[in-house]
Amino acid sequence: MTWPVRRRPRGTRIRRGPVGAARRPYEPVLRRRDWTLPPPASRHRELISALPDEPVEGRPPLLFVHGAAMGAWAWERWLPQAAEAGWAAHAVSLRGHAKSDAPSPLARTPLRYYEHDVLQAITELPSPPVLIGHSLGGLVVQHVLERYRAAPAGVLVGPVPPAHGLEVLGGLVRHDPAALAAALAGREPRPRAELLVGRDTDHAIAQGWADRMGRESSVAATQALAPRRPRDIRAPLLVIGGGDDRVVPPHAVSRTARTYGVRAHLFRGLGHLLMLEEDGDGALRFMLRWLEDTLHATGRLRASAPSN
Amino acid sequence: MDRDTLVIGAGSSGLAAAKNLGLAGFEVDVVERADDLGGNWNFAAETSRVYGSTHMISSKPFTQYPDFPMPDRAPDYLHHTDVLAYLRRYADHFGVSDRIAFATSVEQLRPLGEARDSGWEVALTGRDGEETRHYRRVVIANGHNWSPKLPSYPGQDDFTGEIIHSADYKSAEQLAGKRVVVVGAGNTGCDIAVEGALRADATYHSTRRGYWYAPKYALGRPADQVSDLIFTLGLPLRATQWLFEQTAKLVVGRYERFGLPTPDHHFLETHPIVNQTLLYHIGHGEIAPVPDIARFDGEVVEFTDGTRVAADLVVFATGYLIRFPFLDDDALPWQDGRPQLYRNILHPHRDDLAVIGLIQPDSGQFCLVHWQTVLLARYLQLVRDNPAAAAVWRQRAADRLDERSQGGLALIDSTRHLIEVEHLDYIQDLAADIAALDALLHDEATRHEVVA
Ligand SMILES: Cc1cc2nc3c(=O)[nH]c(=O)nc-3n(C[C@H](O)[C@H](O)[C@H](O)COP(=O)(O)OP(=O)(O)OC[C@H]3O[C@@H](n4cnc5c(N)ncnc54)[C@H](O)[C@@H]3O)c2cc1C
Repeated sequence: MTWPVRRRPRGTRIRRGPVGAARRPYEPVLRRRDWTLPPPASRHRELISALPDEPVEGRPPLLFVHGAAMGAWAWERWLPQAAEAGWAAHAVSLRGHAKSDAPSPLARTPLRYYEHDVLQAITELPSPPVLIGHSLGGLVVQHVLERYRAAPAGVLVGPVPPAHGLEVLGGLVRHDPAALAAALAGREPRPRAELLVGRDTDHAIAQGWADRMGRESSVAATQALAPRRPRDIRAPLLVIGGGDDRVVPPHAVSRTARTYGVRAHLFRGLGHLLMLEEDGDGALRFMLRWLEDTLHATGRLRASAPSN
Repeated sequence: MDRDTLVIGAGSSGLAAAKNLGLAGFEVDVVERADDLGGNWNFAAETSRVYGSTHMISSKPFTQYPDFPMPDRAPDYLHHTDVLAYLRRYADHFGVSDRIAFATSVEQLRPLGEARDSGWEVALTGRDGEETRHYRRVVIANGHNWSPKLPSYPGQDDFTGEIIHSADYKSAEQLAGKRVVVVGAGNTGCDIAVEGALRADATYHSTRRGYWYAPKYALGRPADQVSDLIFTLGLPLRATQWLFEQTAKLVVGRYERFGLPTPDHHFLETHPIVNQTLLYHIGHGEIAPVPDIARFDGEVVEFTDGTRVAADLVVFATGYLIRFPFLDDDALPWQDGRPQLYRNILHPHRDDLAVIGLIQPDSGQFCLVHWQTVLLARYLQLVRDNPAAAAVWRQRAADRLDERSQGGLALIDSTRHLIEVEHLDYIQDLAADIAALDALLHDEATRHEVVA
């Protein structure tokens, strides 16, 4: 009988691998880099909120995390609608994005600094939030869910895949190599509008969103594309995407969902920025219904026991 | 009616236990003797051992709970009031606050049987008087920094000055205008000596041996972060110690120059003393280092080197005793002055009793305690969901009961190191156990294999 008890041989001493060396089963516990080279503290972190007039008892808050080169503004269409439906909705801007300051040079910001920003935002909320991440923010949310096990649920919207980021690369190379090169070089990507939205959204409006984009960290962007073994996530997950998404194509979204043992929900006619597109409102409604059902099913809607 | 799980104490350890056991699906009640949570960091509590000026001696990254970082706007080393605020937000955020019964203390725990899962009869005194309850399991998180350990010297009873333990030291006011002898080179002793330098008429700091005094900052960064970075370089232990010792020599030179004894041990072989200003004040003549006390003589304190000084106040910063006043001695496997528990947590013969926070790490507590409680939660889940697998895992654990996670360090023999753990060694031991338990919990194949 083989027994999966991993033990350290007796007599081995402080194991000092290279900083952060991934001994896979241990690394979620060890997180050596985070104690030895902690993320620099930021002085200002933008958090925009839309609160319901009549909060529904026992519902967890929602925390939205934007994608590459965007900011909390990416959720400006969804936040008020979520609040209207009775959810306390918050969106954070990662360091160096929108109105959040960059305590260290943005270009060299690794993904784990973004994870730290999301955790910092979480600690400001009254109870464990549902985490919702778009694109690169979807990857950050996956990482956060691995270590923040109290989250009642997670939603990934057109997420950068946990392990096969290169699938995203292919589409970008084909559709807008200039934007990709700019993003990887830490410049403003200025993507073409048709890359970002589905066929029904006015390209002039989409161009406005593209122009609003800032820079992205080349280190984070490179890390996002690099292969990595995904870890166990305990929270119930919903994975959604746009059927016409050219940045994170439907097959990549489906594969991400399969990685976590769930089915992807793809919305026809929507592109990568579905949460800003008019027709994307349906995706939000779908997500809120799923949340309601899931939280009921897992007993997380009981007001008295947010810790269970 | 049987209740599920009781956590004794709402300090940093009890809060983490309640939260992580709750997440694992256990129904948790917490009882806390004081009116508020926070334990040692609740300055108002009778058993709090922080003083007005206490800041943490470990910096944020390793100290904080890994899934609930201390705020970015807080400094590297938090003041005790900020630690309390942090613990309160942690408890509120994870819904633990609602589960705490304050002003309620456990008077007595009695086992309901000899079996591993017999459960406990718990005698409580609360706001509404006395009460007895039955719990399926009890997690003890009563802290180990509250019961003063007091030395005794010849003539002590006839000393004409005042003698206090650092447990009763709350503010530098207590030293103002007095001739003070501070006994003990722990972090508390050094802090009080430094406050004496600023407020007292004269300050004598009595230590039994030479120590290494680590700075709070090195290379412009919190020193514990730098030292963890050095640890991860992969050097042999002796080389690491040598590096630290050379750095100390570069920065402060020889301790003898300050009138301090030469350390009789290598760096890392005592619980770290982190104090940046002690040597500074010695160098300014505001603290006089003296050896161990030999005896008291009226108003005079005589030291082992024959030095005699008149003193108004003696502060014994001589540490604390491990105590579980609500438990009979035979309820825990005591050995050499400490309960011998697996990883300082699990009782070898019972699944219904565990201790959380019974460690003295050479770094921050909350992070290690978080993983202690995760290990406990996973083990209890395995006991609940797959008892056969739990039995096999337990057998392995029993073989390793003597492992103390002290990083191969030859810690000097002192009661102060009874529950000392080397944080990197300990967290790796916890991590290995958690990974093993996780594998068992998720592995359907082994489940059938074991059951069959
Ligand atoms: C001066 C000083 C400085 C320190 N600095 C640091 C530092 O920088 N970093 C660090 O990580 N640690 C530091 N520590 C260690 C500190 O003890 C731990 O951080 C932590 O507070 C221990 O938490 P605990 O929950 O295990 O115990 P405690 O905080 O002592 O909590 C135990 C709780 O249990 C309650 N209790 C006890 N018995 C009963 C009973 N019978 N019934 C009901 N309730 C009961 C008590 O009232 C108390 O609230 C320091 C300690 C001191 C004294």
